[in-house]
Amino acid sequence: MLGEAEERKSWGYKEMTDIVMECKNLWKTYEQHLIAVKDVSLQIGEGDIKLIFGPSGSGKSTFLRCLAMLTPPDRGDILLRGECLTKAGTDLNKARTRIGFVFQQIYLFRHLTALGNVELALRRVLKLPKEEAEKRALEALEEVKMQEWSHHYPSQLSGGQQQRVGIARALARNPDIILLDEPTSALDPELTGEVIDTLRDLAKKGTTMLIVSHEMPFAREVADEMIFFDEGSIIETGPPEQFFTNPKSERAKKFMARLIKRTKRE
Amino acid sequence: MVEGVLTTLSISVLSFLLGMAAGLLLAFGRVYEKGSRPLVEVFEKFFRGIPELVLMLMFYWGVGSYIPFPFKNAVFTATFVLGMRSAANQSQIFRGAIRGIGEEQMVAARSLGFSKLWSAVHVMIPQVFVFSTPGLGSEYALLIKDSAYAFVIGVPDIMFITNSIRKATLDPVTPYLAAAFLYILLTFPVATWLDAWGSRRKKKLGL
Repeated sequence: MLGEAEERKSWGYKEMTDIVMECKNLWKTYEQHLIAVKDVSLQIGEGDIKLIFGPSGSGKSTFLRCLAMLTPPDRGDILLRGECLTKAGTDLNKARTRIGFVFQQIYLFRHLTALGNVELALRRVLKLPKEEAEKRALEALEEVKMQEWSHHYPSQLSGGQQQRVGIARALARNPDIILLDEPTSALDPELTGEVIDTLRDLAKKGTTMLIVSHEMPFAREVADEMIFFDEGSIIETGPPEQFFTNPKSERAKKFMARLIKRTKRE
Repeated sequence: MVEGVLTTLSISVLSFLLGMAAGLLLAFGRVYEKGSRPLVEVFEKFFRGIPELVLMLMFYWGVGSYIPFPFKNAVFTATFVLGMRSAANQSQIFRGAIRGIGEEQMVAARSLGFSKLWSAVHVMIPQVFVFSTPGLGSEYALLIKDSAYAFVIGVPDIMFITNSIRKATLDPVTPYLAAAFLYILLTFPVATWLDAWGSRRKKKLGL
């Protein structure tokens, strides 16, 4: 039996129809000189899993934050299910309820338990009644296998557990897409596995995700498309196999060689 | 005397709460709305720079003669002056707390669809309080003590009543000792409890 994700992949990733999120010619400059995002265009279809990778400081995080309008871009358009977010007067708070965001440094609310973290936006943004919010929050925690820890505060959880709660928090509202900014890179190596397992489960369920990550075995397994980012631009895109066997661009080739060497050493 | 204690307590607690509300507004305004910075600065300089005694007399006699309502009410003016001075102090305490909590908590809240205001209410403020407890404890103690200035505009607080007892009994020692004891009783337990609660909470939350 093929999982949903594998099945989808066997159809070829280009066949996807509904576009969930799209950006066109996105630019972001910091303080006039430092160009963080340079003319980036990207489409993410329903159920797509796209993985961005590239050297640190290449603008990946900024790009992801631009997509959620947490850092508004200078130029270019972002469309969420056809609705333009970069147009003046768009209700960004409302739009953000449909975008899940998972941070590298997790950023759980430290004054709330795991359940409180997941529940907060359900109750206070979506205005669900208490029982329903709690039910949905517990379901989300179950999806990341954290229901037993629901009454623990972030400080009482390991990094991996915290990140799973972070994923549940992003997930609980059933967003159209989840953006994950290096979800495992702030964790100790022995804790990355549990988070990767969680992401793999989400992938099997057909969750639309755009992930910044350097977990190469994971990428090869679940990504429909990999995107190599350098100096604020997309240098090369293609299916994982292309990158693992024969990257087209010189820069991607060098970067992959370094990554693979590092993975082997580990 | 019981009346005096109640007056002192109510002026102090009310001005503490007033200072808290205004202080939060000033602190968040200053951190998140750049335009408000000059206004906040002027407010803080004014209320922190001028001695309380001067403020009290200035508002009661000065402002009060032009705007009799509500400044001719001594209890109101005392609460107002203490509250605004406290707001200027608490604003600085809260600002430090907001910095300590970090921008990221705000970003995380915004990413869930909270507006700036509601992020502040649901995510920042609960943590700001935990962070600020030592400062808030001493601010409360300060208010209890500074409320004694209210006696110059005729508020019947502990100080005022002590003074009348001294005049009536011509005993210059006992009434002041009693007042001193009462002030200590009103300040320390609350301030100490607040500090202890904050430390426990901070430890639990890993703040």
